[in-house]
Amino acid sequence: MGVAEVFTEFGDIYLQSVLSTWLMTAVCFAGGLLLGIVATVMRVSPLKPLRVVGDVYVQLFRNIPTVSLLVIFVYALPYLGATLPYRTCLIACVILIVSAFASENFMSGINAIGVGQIEAARSIGLSFTQIIRHVVIPQSLRTTVLPMTNLLIATLLTTAMGSQVPLKPPELTGMVNYVNSRSVAGISAFVVSAICYAGTSVVLGFLGNLLDKKVRIIR
Amino acid sequence: MAEEYAGPIIQMRHVDKHFGQLHVLKDINLEVAKGEVVVLIGPSGSGKSTLCRTINRLETIDSGEILFQGVKLPEEGKELAALRAEIGMVFQSFNLFAHKTILDNVTMGPVEVLHRPRKEAEAEAMELLARVGVAEQAAKVPAQLSGGQQQRVAIARSLAMHPKAMLFDEPTSALDPEMINEVLDVMVELARQGMTMVVVTHEMNFARRVANRVVFMADGQIVEQNTPDEFFDHPQSERAKDFLDSIKGH
Repeated sequence: MGVAEVFTEFGDIYLQSVLSTWLMTAVCFAGGLLLGIVATVMRVSPLKPLRVVGDVYVQLFRNIPTVSLLVIFVYALPYLGATLPYRTCLIACVILIVSAFASENFMSGINAIGVGQIEAARSIGLSFTQIIRHVVIPQSLRTTVLPMTNLLIATLLTTAMGSQVPLKPPELTGMVNYVNSRSVAGISAFVVSAICYAGTSVVLGFLGNLLDKKVRIIR
Repeated sequence: MAEEYAGPIIQMRHVDKHFGQLHVLKDINLEVAKGEVVVLIGPSGSGKSTLCRTINRLETIDSGEILFQGVKLPEEGKELAALRAEIGMVFQSFNLFAHKTILDNVTMGPVEVLHRPRKEAEAEAMELLARVGVAEQAAKVPAQLSGGQQQRVAIARSLAMHPKAMLFDEPTSALDPEMINEVLDVMVELARQGMTMVVVTHEMNFARRVANRVVFMADGQIVEQNTPDEFFDHPQSERAKDFLDSIKGH
């Protein structure tokens, strides 16, 4: 069965799986960014316990394979009385891991700001939270568009971990299993999914470059 | 404060500070009166910048005390931020907010700290920018300005807070020679208008012209202090004589 037949036979559900992948990518990336900001604020806060918690958090989720975390969520959490839907497990895992990498990106953005601007902000009387809000976060976001674009693409590819749990509708990689178990079009389905991933990544990369040019801070 | 505070604006009493093994401030005692311009000079590493930075607690001290308008500097938090809002600070490296326009650099303090309406803050910011001669740059970002222009914006940013005193930490040391005067002119004007100023600088002409008092530091100590004419023409200590000899011709 060729690529064309895959479309005629599974077109509808394929479309759903593309949307499923896109939606999960968006949710996971947005959640990861937010949590990454929280972790980063903790890591630069004046309170040592907060800094330690932030650092441990990032080390933990940056260094654990997604599949291990997913196993914990799916198989271990029920022992603790928390049985979450498969999709929730997957999204939570990806968010945790993305947030750790996002925080590392933010930290590099913060290092680029330079202590002088922070001192200037302090000396006009801005509080810690105001400095974070008005100086640190906007500059850090605007200097890390390119690494964040990389992270967005990585998020997209990490949602493929959804193929390891039953999702309805499946995402792009799970879709390959779905097709493969119903017809002999495994290779074709792989090709279609790969094209969807690659196409999305190329578009995201292009948009990331555009955004970077627009918001990059002239230094 | 209901009543106008009449005593010295800045008082430092027996201030000591170490950077690790290095004793950078040794028993510093200094008072700055309202409207006074005090210039700190001395060889590099003498502790003059550190002294300047302790006054708004960008550097902490190990012992002794620093009072601003008769009140001891708060340790941290809201009180410290409120105090810093009353003390202007101008840095060697300008330190403008790179992501903000010139206008927004000047309005950030008034809007966020003093909670002034944006329109009002912008109008005053434009006046201040005009006063330091960079009004036509208001819509640009810092990197598009020359060093001298950036430093003048930094002064306007401080002035927008209506500070009770201003600290200048080597404000012209990072500037190309032809831009030094445009910044010094603004500072001279400020001094004339009665601003209380503590200035760390290597600009001896400025010190002679503007300072009420020159404080000479070496090895973390205040070695001598005097009026500029007395200090430059009749230095008392060997350290000061050596220092003045070493910079002759500059």
